[in-house]
Amino acid sequence: MIEVKNLTKVYGHHRAVDNISFTVNDGEILGFLGPNGAGKTTTMNMMTGFISATEGTVTINGYDILDDTINARKQLGYLPDVPPVYGEMRVDEYLDFVCDIKKVKKSERAAMLDDITSTVGISNVRKRIVKNLSKGYRQRVGLAQALVGYPSVLILDEPTVGLDPGQIIEMRRVIKELGKRHTILLSSHILSEVGAVCDRVMIINNGKIVASDTTHNLEEGAAENIQLVKIKGDINAASQALKAVEGVVSVQESACDEEGCSQLRINTGSEDIRADIVKALVSAGIDIVMLKPAALSLEDAFLKVINGEYDMPEAWDNDADGGEELEQVSDGDERHTDEEESGAEQSVSSDAESEEE
Amino acid sequence: MAAIIKKELRTYFTTLTGYAFLGFFVLITGYFFVSQNIAGASMDYSETLIGTMIMFLILVPVLTMRLFAEEARQKTDQLLYTSPLRVTDIVVGKFIAASLLFLIGLAITMIFPFILSKYGELNVKGTVGVVTGYFLMGCCLISVGLFISVLTDNQIVAAAGTFAALFLLLMMDNIAANAPITRLSSAVFVAVLILAVLIVLYSGTKSIAGTLVSGVLCYLLLFAAYMLFPALFDSTITRLLGWLSVLNRFQNFYLGVFGLSDVVYYVTFAAAFLYLTVSVIEKRRWS
Repeated sequence: MIEVKNLTKVYGHHRAVDNISFTVNDGEILGFLGPNGAGKTTTMNMMTGFISATEGTVTINGYDILDDTINARKQLGYLPDVPPVYGEMRVDEYLDFVCDIKKVKKSERAAMLDDITSTVGISNVRKRIVKNLSKGYRQRVGLAQALVGYPSVLILDEPTVGLDPGQIIEMRRVIKELGKRHTILLSSHILSEVGAVCDRVMIINNGKIVASDTTHNLEEGAAENIQLVKIKGDINAASQALKAVEGVVSVQESACDEEGCSQLRINTGSEDIRADIVKALVSAGIDIVMLKPAALSLEDAFLKVINGEYDMPEAWDNDADGGEELEQVSDGDERHTDEEESGAEQSVSSDAESEEE
Repeated sequence: MAAIIKKELRTYFTTLTGYAFLGFFVLITGYFFVSQNIAGASMDYSETLIGTMIMFLILVPVLTMRLFAEEARQKTDQLLYTSPLRVTDIVVGKFIAASLLFLIGLAITMIFPFILSKYGELNVKGTVGVVTGYFLMGCCLISVGLFISVLTDNQIVAAAGTFAALFLLLMMDNIAANAPITRLSSAVFVAVLILAVLIVLYSGTKSIAGTLVSGVLCYLLLFAAYMLFPALFDSTITRLLGWLSVLNRFQNFYLGVFGLSDVVYYVTFAAAFLYLTVSVIEKRRWS
């Protein structure tokens, strides 16, 4: 279990990480998401004790990373943003050295290294010199290094960077597999990756946690309840008919890519009123070409969160310590949404359109 | 610590640095052995060792430039500093590895005094003493190189910096001999030293008040000492530099005096630089 409390890092006047708190529970894969420069790597460097925090504490399985640093590090496997591999060593020599510094018993080594190298898929390059390996293989050697000693906590900083698409899928499978035995914190700026691998996602921007939720809830939260309907016929009549339907919050025209058609965005609130929409349009004499929910992906959730347009769900499950600060963010968001509701929707609609194209 | 020593030694011999060092070391020592002992028909092996001192300028940087600079460049320092190793273990491990390689070189060159002993009466005790002193001095210079390596992530910068630092260290006797000896110049020298210490103090504590108070105190003491005991300031610079000089200490071994104080001096000197190295690493993490 990893507990991070009020972690802050200040460089001069720049607050790289600003008072963040979270917990990664045993056996959980937490995705740590944020644009470049958001503070992900700084946070991870503090969590592993590579740099010290200006304020706040990090506890790994109950050991403080600064006060009880040796015990805390024994619990920890860390893959930094650049895999920390020695170019001049052979893969086997390197892993043997990592066994040395992590004090793995000689008797357990052979079996452990066989297992780890086959898990991350580097069994076939064990005799090769690291600097001659491709970036993807070096990344895997870096991951193998983190696994040496089977630490209960893994911290992986952008583990799929530099891999080709096949390797990325493979790496995700490996991480998911590892998640059964280890507690994992994984950072990424690739959203689909987090969606594919993680149980829970935490989004960080400008050094602050701006959202923390399950992957599923984040996608739901971002999608709102927007239905897209493509029609043939008089758009004003359609608008009128739709506004008369009970449960419709708003109707907006949006750009249509098909000749002779128009497209409308209907905010349907919380009720499922798709049947009513169809009936209303048909009785108004309008042909429906398409009706579909404006499914927003994690990508959109991410953009909305980063732009401060995301309503924090009430049920998001963070620990009590982080509550106060996150509530502030949530308050700010609500105000923001109230004031600029139309603006926010505009941006959502443009997102949805670009997605369709 | 053993893990670090093993890894560094292995790296020395996979990157050819180790072979280059050993080859060059034995070659130069052999050259001086031929010119001083064989051509000079002398039984005094310390003459060879004195002659080889100059090669420390090149060989110590070769040994030490990579140690920390390369870790920083390859980002492998993240592995070391997040592993269950203490920073002291890492620093001392690297120091021991470099010293061991130096010791291996020294062990190979022991063939030269052995050759001497076949052709005459070799002063065994004196030779053992002077070789020990030579080894201790080499270790001191290695600790300086190690310290400079931790300051940069560029091996070339580390090598050039080490060269400059060792040059100053080996020149110290010369500088001391030419230093001004008047009392006033000594007082100014001490004042500058105090200023340097104050700057270090301030950068460490960031406390203006504390630095000012200790600064005023130090300068008052200096002024009082200058007024009351002016004899203290007779050629202070020369004495201080002479006391600090690494070479000066070696003279004692060379003259056949195996003094405990000189051994303590060398050990303290190396320990101080290792401590500085550890501090730089710790400070970097805490800044």
